[in-house]
Amino acid sequence: MRNAATILIVEDDERIRNYMRTVLASCDYAVLETGNAKTALSIVASHNPDLVILDLGLPDRDGQELLSEMRQWSRVPVVVISARGLEKDKVTALDNGADDYITKPFGTDELLARIRAALRHGRQRNEGERTVFSGNGLVVDTERRIVRVDGQPIHLTQIEYKIVTLLCRNSGKVLTHDYMIREVWGPFSNCDTQLLRVNMANIRRKIEKDPTMPEYIATEIGVGYRMIEMD
Amino acid sequence: MLRRKGGNRRERMFLFSWRDAGVTALILAAATLLCFLMRNIGDGENYVSMVFLFAVALVSRTTSGYFYGVAASVVGVFGVNYAFTKPYMALCFSLTGYPLTFITMLAVAVLISGMTTQLKRQVRQNYNARLEDMRANLLRAVSHDLRTPLTSISGAASVLSRNLGKIDEKRQRALLNEISGDAEWLIRMVENLLSITRINAERASVKKVPEAAEEIVSEAVRKYRKRFGAPAAEIAMPGELIMAPMDAILIEQVITNLLENAALHATGATWVRVTVKKQGCEAVFEVEDNGGGIEPDKLPVLFDGSASSYNDSAANSRSMGIGLSVCRTIISAHGGTLTAENVPGGGARFRFTLPTEEGEGHAQCGNHTHR
Repeated sequence: MRNAATILIVEDDERIRNYMRTVLASCDYAVLETGNAKTALSIVASHNPDLVILDLGLPDRDGQELLSEMRQWSRVPVVVISARGLEKDKVTALDNGADDYITKPFGTDELLARIRAALRHGRQRNEGERTVFSGNGLVVDTERRIVRVDGQPIHLTQIEYKIVTLLCRNSGKVLTHDYMIREVWGPFSNCDTQLLRVNMANIRRKIEKDPTMPEYIATEIGVGYRMIEMD
Repeated sequence: MLRRKGGNRRERMFLFSWRDAGVTALILAAATLLCFLMRNIGDGENYVSMVFLFAVALVSRTTSGYFYGVAASVVGVFGVNYAFTKPYMALCFSLTGYPLTFITMLAVAVLISGMTTQLKRQVRQNYNARLEDMRANLLRAVSHDLRTPLTSISGAASVLSRNLGKIDEKRQRALLNEISGDAEWLIRMVENLLSITRINAERASVKKVPEAAEEIVSEAVRKYRKRFGAPAAEIAMPGELIMAPMDAILIEQVITNLLENAALHATGATWVRVTVKKQGCEAVFEVEDNGGGIEPDKLPVLFDGSASSYNDSAANSRSMGIGLSVCRTIISAHGGTLTAENVPGGGARFRFTLPTEEGEGHAQCGNHTHR
């Protein structure tokens, strides 16, 4: 199968760039690459790639800054490369408009999975707003306000329902704690993450078959939550 | 009792503290009340000095620095003079024995404050020394343990590049697997070491936010299942949500290390179970397996980082000394405890606790600051 997608790699370390180029090329993606922020911006502007993989540590400019500037005129999906332990960077990048992140050191499978998911979101963005989401037996119908697991109706409180639909509309994407709190409780609420966690624990007890091993809503430790891909 | 907040002791001594001021006021008020009661009963006057002397001693012992003890003794002297010696409710400095009372109280205050301060300093020093020890051990273990996989990686890579095409494919594949296996191992080791850098060295503390225990355990078990097929991991969790302030990344590392320890060292284990429960003001995490247990002579040195030098038999056993000592460092920095024991009937149980309340002095929590 031929992957028509063009991917831009922005990474200053040549060895990692080589590795990614080899992996992506072997999967038939068209690959563009650069080691600095300046060229990255001009390539995005001139070539309009389908996806950007961005390392936050660039020599000539702060990756976060580059990301926010790019977001002012481009909606290209961006996957950020960051290290474990730098959860704050990931949260900032997501708030700056990144679509996903991948943690260094990463494996080939993980890299490809993230790329596929981000490309899919890029395509979905151009489709209209959906009202029915389903995946793995979970069905959320926002028009009729119904949530079912394996056909069984689930009763959610107002807040729980808001959280679930927010995650559904962004399925496959990591939503940061702060973003979720803003969206669910409003921008001026002084609600802390504790309340979000309590609600999440309740939702999991209602929709997950095994709340200790959630299959629908995954925890991204130190960052936020991610709903599985929903069709 | 070890204070975790306010690392700089010298600063504390001159800082005003609401807690200490409150304690002082409370003790003095209690002493005054007691004296009034005794006077009402009858011959209270003889005991007044004793009661206040005891109060001063108590203040000196429970507050930090010299200030509150000395203040209490001054207040005590004037209070006794004013309220409890004739003439009542008036100051009179011509009483016989008055200078003696004053000097005694002052001496007691200074003496006990000094002892208290010294004791606290000593505890702090002991703790720092232990941390220093742990670091030295870690470094030693690391330098010992890093060489082996690095040698194997560079060796296998050079064999491959020199003999590419000359050795059969099966052998090549085996070498490649060795390289990636050792690289994986190095990654985990480096992650462990980087964990330590998240701990504030000076105060041996971490940045804590309230986290749901179930989320951390689930993620650690999920990652464990990706890497190991056996022993099978189980989670036992109560219905209620347990929240505890922690650095989530570090606690996940601890659970991952303990699970990995079970997978690599629990001989014959068929399951490993992570249990979380709440006991009083602590969240208690347990990682238990049904393997062969820990050799009794290894138990005392298990968390020292030196355990690795004892077992040089199995190739994959080399990492555990470091993994476990990292666990202990992380848990200590959280103000919790980490212990290991053998379960009657076979298997090992690692247990660590995390305080569920932030800070100290929560009346309902008792003495959770003990170590």
